[in-house]
Amino acid sequence: MIPNWMRSTDRYVPPRDGGTFAIRTIQSLGGVMSRLQVQRGQQQGRALPAFWKLLLLLVMLVAVSVLQNRLALMAVTALVLGTLSFWPAKRLWQTLKSALAAAGLTLLLLLPAMLLHPAGASNQLVIVWKVFLSLTMLNMFNRTTQWNEITTALRRLHVPGIFVFTLDLTLKYIVLLGTLICDLLSALQLRAVGRHERKYQSVGGVMGVTFLRSAELSRETYEAMVCRGFTDDYKGL
Amino acid sequence: MKLIELDKITFAYAPDEALVLREFSLSVGEGECVALLGDNGAGKTTLFRILNGLSFPQQGSYRFDGVEITAAYLKKQADQKRFHKRVGYLFQNPDVMLFNGTVYDEIAFGPRQMGLPNAELEARVGDCLDLFDLRPLAGKAPYHLSGGQKKQVALAAVLALNPEVLILDEPLAGLDRKTQEKLLRLLRELKAAGKTILIATHDPEVSSALADRSVVLEKE
Repeated sequence: MIPNWMRSTDRYVPPRDGGTFAIRTIQSLGGVMSRLQVQRGQQQGRALPAFWKLLLLLVMLVAVSVLQNRLALMAVTALVLGTLSFWPAKRLWQTLKSALAAAGLTLLLLLPAMLLHPAGASNQLVIVWKVFLSLTMLNMFNRTTQWNEITTALRRLHVPGIFVFTLDLTLKYIVLLGTLICDLLSALQLRAVGRHERKYQSVGGVMGVTFLRSAELSRETYEAMVCRGFTDDYKGL
Repeated sequence: MKLIELDKITFAYAPDEALVLREFSLSVGEGECVALLGDNGAGKTTLFRILNGLSFPQQGSYRFDGVEITAAYLKKQADQKRFHKRVGYLFQNPDVMLFNGTVYDEIAFGPRQMGLPNAELEARVGDCLDLFDLRPLAGKAPYHLSGGQKKQVALAAVLALNPEVLILDEPLAGLDRKTQEKLLRLLRELKAAGKTILIATHDPEVSSALADRSVVLEKE
């Protein structure tokens, strides 16, 4: 039998309530996490096996970071941009976008030093150049290699199985956890119909549930893998 | 005038993704109970998100009690809170609705914000606990409850706000027969009390036992 107050309509005028900053911040963070999809490698650039691509990437990253000779850096840049020039415009822009943004941010951070010590400005510009180059190469690798090929390549490079497993699960579940955070905060928002005195307690609750759920998800996945014959010898999923 | 009016709404999650709803229209009057039937992925949950102001259609309009519900309208805090007070939503997955330390706090979350006097708040939470026989679990953490218990706590938390409209996304899924019957009885009582109910279900028996009419959503 439902109580009497459920049979009538509440006369309710919501009071003013401020300070939703923490909730909005976490909501946008969850939104970003839920959109993080592990990139699916495209057909283009898949002629080279993932193992060799990964090896080449590591060598190139180390080379770019230690190279002092600008002519050699220019050669690497020409090689990278030359390869990219064969890509469709949309993918080219997607690949360069984040590298350009990171290079721009680096330039912004180094700007005061460049203004205070103009003599060293050219060296600092090399750092910006290296950031752009490294990220472009990483993006190229990411866009041409499927995630399961990367995990297999990591194992072939003798990276410990537990490391690959953790990395794999983290990337797979970060999207799920982002969605969970968004849903929890939506549910909170739908029931936050008045003055919310305990905002930080609720935010703590959301984060706590997310943490518990992530632990549960990884345990369940591990158990499911064991049931299907996984023996801690990680060969890539 | 109808309480809920959807006029030719079209929705896709991203511009380059397939449409989930195409020119969908629906009117629901006050006190009416409508069952939404359809295969998985037919757009029931998306429709419910739109009805709750969590997503907005790219085309068409959604009017609630004569007011068009848009992102701009819900940006105004008072309007948003008033709207959410009037429309209660039970998510398909109750896990995403439970974020408080105890079952009691979970149910008291909404009424506490309404600024109800302590005695009224306690009475309201107590009534909701009794409706679902949850008193023995009042001090427990919702996270550690079983799936069926979580669903009941989530519904109790929605009912504690005494909304005029109940939007229930598969409320009976995953429950044992006895609990399903108990919940159906409760929903019938709520309907008799004048609540407007929209219920998504895969079970034609549920729709025939409860709903005034059924709407079938088909996959795009």
